[in-house]
Amino acid sequence: MKALLYSVVIVGIVPVQSVLLPHLTLWGVKPDFGVVAVCLIGLINGELDGLLVGVAVGWALSLFSAQDVLTGAMLKGGLGLVAGLAGRQMVYLSPLVLVLGLLVVSCLVGLVTPVVLKLSPQQDLWWAIWNVALPQACLDAVIGGAIYWLMWSQFNIEQLMSESRM
Amino acid sequence: MWMVNLRVTSNARRVALVLAVVLILGFLLLPGQLQSVFQGVGGPLGWIISWPLSAVAGVHDRIAGVWGGYVALQGIEDENRQLKRELELLKEQNGQLRESAAATERLATLLEFKRQALPTLIAAQVIGRDTGNWYKTIIVDKGASDGILPDQGVITPAGVVGRIVKTTASTAVVLLVTDPNNAIAGLIQRTRDEGIVEGTTQGQARLKYIPLLSGARPGDRVVTSGLVEGFPRGLAIGTITRIDKEEEALFQSAELTPEVDPNRIEEVLVIQSSLVPAEKERLSMPRPKP
Repeated sequence: MKALLYSVVIVGIVPVQSVLLPHLTLWGVKPDFGVVAVCLIGLINGELDGLLVGVAVGWALSLFSAQDVLTGAMLKGGLGLVAGLAGRQMVYLSPLVLVLGLLVVSCLVGLVTPVVLKLSPQQDLWWAIWNVALPQACLDAVIGGAIYWLMWSQFNIEQLMSESRM
Repeated sequence: MWMVNLRVTSNARRVALVLAVVLILGFLLLPGQLQSVFQGVGGPLGWIISWPLSAVAGVHDRIAGVWGGYVALQGIEDENRQLKRELELLKEQNGQLRESAAATERLATLLEFKRQALPTLIAAQVIGRDTGNWYKTIIVDKGASDGILPDQGVITPAGVVGRIVKTTASTAVVLLVTDPNNAIAGLIQRTRDEGIVEGTTQGQARLKYIPLLSGARPGDRVVTSGLVEGFPRGLAIGTITRIDKEEEALFQSAELTPEVDPNRIEEVLVIQSSLVPAEKERLSMPRPKP
């Protein structure tokens, strides 16, 4: 069941990100569902799932972008691993804490990405913060928070988290 | 029971950390090799993903078509009247252009440039945009299996769109001319001064390295110079809107408005590179006819 869910996420994230999300932009920036999905999977299902799904999601998204494949896979994989390790330290995670966490994590990923990708000199760090990282982090946090709140109200997340760690 | 669970958890963590270390080491020590492995193995993954991508893009286009055809009809009468006026004007211009085209064709044949002017084009449909926010790209529904390769030029009848940067079996990613990471050799049509066209972060383009003595001015058209692989000479890139001349600078630059609006592209044409002669080939002595 888990493998099927992960396959749907990996295969479905590209159409969502490239066809549907361009209609949902803030100052021309769209949310990164990859960041949201990998963080949630890492937090709930642990670091191994976070790492593997992160690598696969980053890889799939990079195949349909000008971004180089390895960097995309590494960044998302690393994010899943960190989310998994962070989730292990938590007993209870409220939607508000998740929103704040996603905001910070997405901002950090947004700051690291232009450095790793070696973009054009026009796209300096200041430009990256104001024009991509911050708007994207806000959108990621809101969407991630909404998804988590839905899961939180429907399922017993704490039980899911503890079961997945066993 | 608890001990067993703890061991499993500990094993998963260990496996995750070992995998992460292997990936980081690979990223640092063998970036090129690992990159090509990921890109190569990504072929089947890309092929699988291209199916839902095409399906979602098809549904999206159908909804957009219904919206455009039935819902967003406000102001269509005014637009129709304006279009009729434009049609009259264009008919007149068309007659003049036919004459010019006939003359150009004769000259092109004479100079053996016909092959360059008519490369083989592959029509493709835009099915998506970049999956991230760092690059300005579009995804088209033709890929490696259709003969599309990286570095091939992409155009519409209006002008240059960009170049292919990545392909899967059935899709390709086009880096737009408005992306700051793209560079195309350009030529000011009136003054014949050459430069490099780069995208800007504002979604426009800029012609750099124009000689200081150039008489370029706003309104001049910029076309491809044919100096880089992928584009033959003379394809429209944009129109100069502003000239920037800095004190003590060795060159001047110009801001361009691209001929093609990247946000409204639906179909594109990919130029097959092998049929666009390289600069060396074009400048060499013409081959004697048998």
